[in-house]
Amino acid sequence: MRFLVVDDSTTMRRIIINTLNKLGYTEIVEAGNGREGIDRVSEGPVDLIITDWNMPEMNGIDFVRSLRAMEGKQHVPVLMVTTNAAKDDIVEALRAGVNNYVVKPFTPDTIKEKIDAVMAH
Amino acid sequence: MASPAPAVDSQSTQPLIETLRACTHDVFGTMVGSTLAEGTPLAGDALRPQSNVVGQIGFGGSRCGLVVFYATSAGAGVITSSLLGMSEGDEPSKAEVADAIGEITNMIAGSFRTRMATDGDAWAISIPTVTMGSDFYMTPLSDGRRTMLPFRMGDHEIFVELVITTKVRRA
Repeated sequence: MRFLVVDDSTTMRRIIINTLNKLGYTEIVEAGNGREGIDRVSEGPVDLIITDWNMPEMNGIDFVRSLRAMEGKQHVPVLMVTTNAAKDDIVEALRAGVNNYVVKPFTPDTIKEKIDAVMAH
Repeated sequence: MASPAPAVDSQSTQPLIETLRACTHDVFGTMVGSTLAEGTPLAGDALRPQSNVVGQIGFGGSRCGLVVFYATSAGAGVITSSLLGMSEGDEPSKAEVADAIGEITNMIAGSFRTRMATDGDAWAISIPTVTMGSDFYMTPLSDGRRTMLPFRMGDHEIFVELVITTKVRRA
């Protein structure tokens, strides 16, 4: 299973990648913002995307909107990992095409639950 | 640990301080894997923590102010190593420390914002900035009401400061 992790923070990318490794997932590509994320998706298939919201150049919401407009990418599962957890934020993310939501701080168990949930769909 | 002082903040900001304290514990317990011991909150600017790495995030909305995180170089290094899952003996680079402390500050301030939004206070927060060095201290707005929350993480003191503006500033 191939993951794409999109976050401008190298720390948060590393935390997420370490968590995925612990869960047994090792095929992971990275991007530092939404625009790079679109590039990575264009370069090859990904099975699940984990993205931040607040990023320079292209934020997570615009990234997901752009992704959903790409041919064949309408149904790639997307998890958003962010501190933006007010009700209005979550509604905006889901409307943009995010499938599920992880609020920082998070545990590995939370990431696993959310991955399992979006993959079950 | 900083010596206790009698001054605690006024009643109106006490819920904010309690929320910020809870968010700090939550972030460290969940992401750093550390249980923090805490000292007595100190109001005002009498306490200037010894710090080499300072993360800062502004917020605005029904209230305006800053959340500031202070750590020594050694403390910031421990936090960074833990966040990144580094092996014992590996030293994080300055860039890694800056990014990690920015992320810690972001998570504390972000959780703070979310919990306050749940209580009806909707705020926006800024991106984090991190200052690294020695022989400096932070001086926020002169009309800011400051409260310093001291914590201890093992051998390292860390501090989280809440600055609330008491006047609305207009450009």
